[in-house]
Amino acid sequence: MANIATQRIQREFSEVTKSDESQKNLISIELVNNSLSDLRGYISGPPDTPYEGGIFHLDIKIPETYPFNPPKVRFLTKIWHPNISSVTGAICLDILKDQWAAAMTIRTVLLSLQALLSGAEPDDPQDAVVAKQYKDSYEMFKLTAKHWTSVYAMTGFDKWRYPDFDYKIQRLMEIMKVDEDRARVALSSNNWDLEKATQSLLS
Amino acid sequence: MASGANDDSKESESSFECNICLDTAKDAVVSLCGHLFCWPCLHQWLETKPTRQVCPVCKAAISRDKVIPLYGRNSSRQDPRDKLPPRPPGQRSEPEPSSSTSFPAFGLGDGGFHMSFGIGAFPFGFFASTFNFGEGRPAPSPNSQDYAEDQFLSKLFLWVAIVFIFWLLIA
Repeated sequence: MANIATQRIQREFSEVTKSDESQKNLISIELVNNSLSDLRGYISGPPDTPYEGGIFHLDIKIPETYPFNPPKVRFLTKIWHPNISSVTGAICLDILKDQWAAAMTIRTVLLSLQALLSGAEPDDPQDAVVAKQYKDSYEMFKLTAKHWTSVYAMTGFDKWRYPDFDYKIQRLMEIMKVDEDRARVALSSNNWDLEKATQSLLS
Repeated sequence: MASGANDDSKESESSFECNICLDTAKDAVVSLCGHLFCWPCLHQWLETKPTRQVCPVCKAAISRDKVIPLYGRNSSRQDPRDKLPPRPPGQRSEPEPSSSTSFPAFGLGDGGFHMSFGIGAFPFGFFASTFNFGEGRPAPSPNSQDYAEDQFLSKLFLWVAIVFIFWLLIA
């Protein structure tokens, strides 16, 4: 990797570690395979959002040309959000594309992603299905996002459960012989309508 | 990780860090919006985005011609221009001349020659045309290139005027 990129990542690493946000366990990063071009980021779900209480894992790839080009970031933790693909974890955020500036750092990227969780931009969606639900039936979106957070981003006993969703997922798995994740995506994409979700899996 | 004692000691002087490489700025330049960079770092950033040149910190408009190089007292040990890419030069503008003339200079460069034509009812208006030689403004020193040009222009316009008057008389 280019010298400037290596040197910057080293400095940024200590910057994140020493930051207030890191002390409060809001963000953190660590190396993958001891390579400075491959990082793992962690952000906590912001309070008063459906993501509260969750820890979201991010895959961060540092390009050769960093910091002149943005890092490639995607969610490893499955998440229900208009600007994040529920399938691939790809993120639609301007600063990770054409609005990147060389003075931005991994720390500011992680904080921007946290801000994205607090305020979605449904008019510039990455996941059209989620964005439509967000605009058409916001309450349903909130419940679904909270359900995804509890299933994929939480560990331990403080998981929030919504028996109706759990029941429908079980039913769809039995009817269609699909795994839990596929059943959850089908139901989430169809406003938890069991019949429509079944049809969507058939087509 | 690499956050050794070396990094900690540099933390105290962090106010002069380049905003791109996060190291102490080398061949430092500052943008009009006040942000400090190494010239090689900023140059690479401008090269990366040739169509959308913005300050990497605040996204204000920025360009090669609008950054100011900083010269510290001990920074001249090695000439930064020997390195590539060359740092843009500092700009030095001359102070305004403290001239007492009320005649605004227009055309004809900085010479001490002014000419104006008054156009009115012929033939009276024509006599309002005036020639002013060496008015108010500091004349260039003799023997200089400026002085020679000045003299040449004076003579040229004088002859043009004489020819013009002569033509008017015979027409």
